[in-house]
Amino acid sequence: MDVYEVFRRSGHKQPFEHCGTVTAPDSAMALLMAKECYLRREEGQYMWVTRRSDIHSWSDEALFEPAADKSYRFAHAYRDVVRKRELARRRAGQL
Amino acid sequence: MTEALVAIVTSLGDDELILGHRHAEWTGFAPHIEEDVAFSSIAQDEIGHAAAYYSIASSLTGLTRDALALGRSQGEYRHAVLCERPNSDWAYTITRQWLYDRADSLRLTALEDSAHDALRHLATKIRREERYHLIHADMWMERIAHGPIEGRTKLTRAATTALSATAGLFEPFEREADAIGEGWLTVPSEELGRRFLSEAVDALDGLGLPAEVTPDGWRAEFVASSSGDLIATAPSDPGETSTPAGLGGRSGRHSPDFSELWADMTRTYRADPEATW
Amino acid sequence: MTYEQRLTDFRHYVGTGGKVEATDWMPDDYRAGVLKFIEMHANSEMMGAIPEREQIPHAPSLQRKMSLTAKVQDEVGHSQLLYRIAEDLGKSRETMYLDLVNGRSKFHNVFHYPTRHWGDVAVIGWLIDGAALVTQAALLESSYAPYTRVLKRICAEEQLHLRHGEDITLELASGTDKQRAMFKDALDRWWLPIVHFFGPKSNVGKDLLLRWRVKTRTNEDLRAEFLDRYVPKILELGFSFPTPVPFEFEGHWVLREEDIDWAPLDAIKRNQGPETARRLELRRSTYEQHAWVRQALAEPATQVA
Repeated sequence: MDVYEVFRRSGHKQPFEHCGTVTAPDSAMALLMAKECYLRREEGQYMWVTRRSDIHSWSDEALFEPAADKSYRFAHAYRDVVRKRELARRRAGQL
Repeated sequence: MTEALVAIVTSLGDDELILGHRHAEWTGFAPHIEEDVAFSSIAQDEIGHAAAYYSIASSLTGLTRDALALGRSQGEYRHAVLCERPNSDWAYTITRQWLYDRADSLRLTALEDSAHDALRHLATKIRREERYHLIHADMWMERIAHGPIEGRTKLTRAATTALSATAGLFEPFEREADAIGEGWLTVPSEELGRRFLSEAVDALDGLGLPAEVTPDGWRAEFVASSSGDLIATAPSDPGETSTPAGLGGRSGRHSPDFSELWADMTRTYRADPEATW
Repeated sequence: MTYEQRLTDFRHYVGTGGKVEATDWMPDDYRAGVLKFIEMHANSEMMGAIPEREQIPHAPSLQRKMSLTAKVQDEVGHSQLLYRIAEDLGKSRETMYLDLVNGRSKFHNVFHYPTRHWGDVAVIGWLIDGAALVTQAALLESSYAPYTRVLKRICAEEQLHLRHGEDITLELASGTDKQRAMFKDALDRWWLPIVHFFGPKSNVGKDLLLRWRVKTRTNEDLRAEFLDRYVPKILELGFSFPTPVPFEFEGHWVLREEDIDWAPLDAIKRNQGPETARRLELRRSTYEQHAWVRQALAEPATQVA
C-alpha cells in the first residue's frame, strides 16, 4: 500500500490543485477511491494521482528567500510611468 | 397496457432499492476506509436509480414514489431474491455487485430500445453511472481472484452461490408477453439471461476461476484453476442445491431474509404513511 | 542548537501565531499531544458513523435514505482525512485501529449512546453536529497546519450536515403529534450527553493543547457559544429541556453547574458507556474478519497464468 497524492482540476481556467491523499494498493485503485473521496461533490472533472514517493521537494526552504533586490520582476518597479510619459510628451513638444 | 409497464419499472426499482439497501449496510464497516467511502456512493446511486424507476411507476399509478418504495406489503415487492440476500462477507458482496451490475448492463442496453420514452432515457442515464460500478467491481474481482489463496477461495464459494441466484434477475417480469407486444421490452428476459450466463462464465474464466455450468444452466461448478489450487466446488449453503436457486421474486415470493429487511426498511414510514419527513 | 534553545524558539514561534507542518521540527510533547488529539478526532468520526448508520435502514423516504447514507459517508470520509494526517505524524493506521478497539484510545462521549428511532437522527444531525461545528470552527486557528487544512473541508461538510439535521428536525417539529413526540423523546435522552460533549471547565494552566495553541478556546467558552446559539432555537419550536435546564442570565443562556451530573461522562472515560463495549467489539470483530481483504490489498497486483 502506498500514499497517493490527489490533484483535481475543475474546468479549464485553473490549473490542477492538490486536494488530499488516499492510501491504496495501486494507481488504478487510487483513482477509483480518490474519485469518491475528493470529487463526489463535483469539485472537478479531471483528476491525477501520484505516489507520494514520486513527489520531490527542496529540503531547505531558505533557498526560496531572495537576497538581492529583485524588484525588476514586479509591477511596482514601474510605477514611475506617469512622470516619464509627461517628460516624453514635453520633449516631443520641443521638436 | 400500462400494467405491463408498471410491472417492469416496479421490478427494476425494487431490484435497485433492495440491493442499494444491502450495499448501504457496509457504510462505516467496509474493509478499507477509502473503499468505504467509494462503496457508499455505489449504494446511493442504486437507491437513486430506484427512485427514478419509481417516478415512472408513480406517473402511471398515481402513488407517490415513497408509497411505492416503502408502503407495500412484503408480497408486493418484485425484486430478485439475489438482492435481498444478506451481505455475508466482503467476497459475497463484491461478487454479487459484479454479477448484478453486469446483468444490469445487459438489460439496460436492451431497454435503450424500449418504445417508452422515459424508460429509454432513464436506461441511458443509468448506464452512464453504472460504468463506474463496473470498473469498481472488475478491479476488486481481479485483485481478490489474483491474490492470496484465502481470498480466492472465498470468492469461488461466493460465486457458486451468487451465480445461481442471479437467475432470478432474468425470470420473466409479470405480464412480460404483453410488455413485449407493446414494445416496452424488446428482448425476452430469458434470452437476456442466456446471454448473460455465457458472458459471466467467460468472465469468470478470464479471472482464473473457470466454471462449468450444469445442464439446468445456472448451477456452476468451479474447476481447479490452472495453477493447481484447490477450489471449493460445494456452495456454502447446501440448501441452494435442492431448491430452484433465487427464483420467485418476480411474483412476490421472497425468503425470510426479506421479512427482516422489509420490517426494518418500512417501519418508520408505515407508522404514519401520511406524514412528511 | 540545544533542545532547550529549539524549544524556546518554538514556543515563541507558536505563541505568535506560527504554523507547524508535518516535516518541521517539533518538541516531543507537541508531537505527542497533536497526534493524540487528531487520533481521538479520527476515532470519533469513525465511531460516530455507528449510531447514525443504525438508522439508515429505517429512513422514512427515498430522499432521506440517500441523504443519511451520504451524511454517514461524509463522517467516514472525515475519519479517512484525519487518520491520514495522523499517519503522517508517525503512527500507522493499523496501530491506531487496534488501540481504538482495545480501549487504549478514546472517542467522543456522544458516540457511546444508543439510537432508538428517527427522532435521534434529527437531534444528532442538528444539535450534535451543531456542537461539533462550534468546537471544530475554533480549531481552524490551530497551530498544526495539516489539521487546519483538513478541518476546512470538515467544517464545510458539517455546515451541510447541520442544515440537513435542521431540515429533518423542522419536519418533525411541524408534523404530527407522534413526530413531535419523537423529537422530544430524543432530546430528553441526548441533552445531557450534549452538555458533556464540551467537557468540564478547562484547566488553562495544565492544558497542554491550549498552551501549544493546538486548541484555541476553553471548553466553557465553547459550551456558552453553543447554548446561546441553540437554546432559543429549540425553545421557539415549542420544546422544553430535561435537566440541566438552561435559563437566561445577563443576556446569555446558562446552566446551573449543580444540575450537571458528570457521572455518565466519567463512566465513558473508563470506556463503560451504554454502547461502548458492544460497538468496540463490533469494530474489532469486523477488523479481524477483514484480515484476508487487507492481505489481498497489500500484495502487488499479480496475474495468474
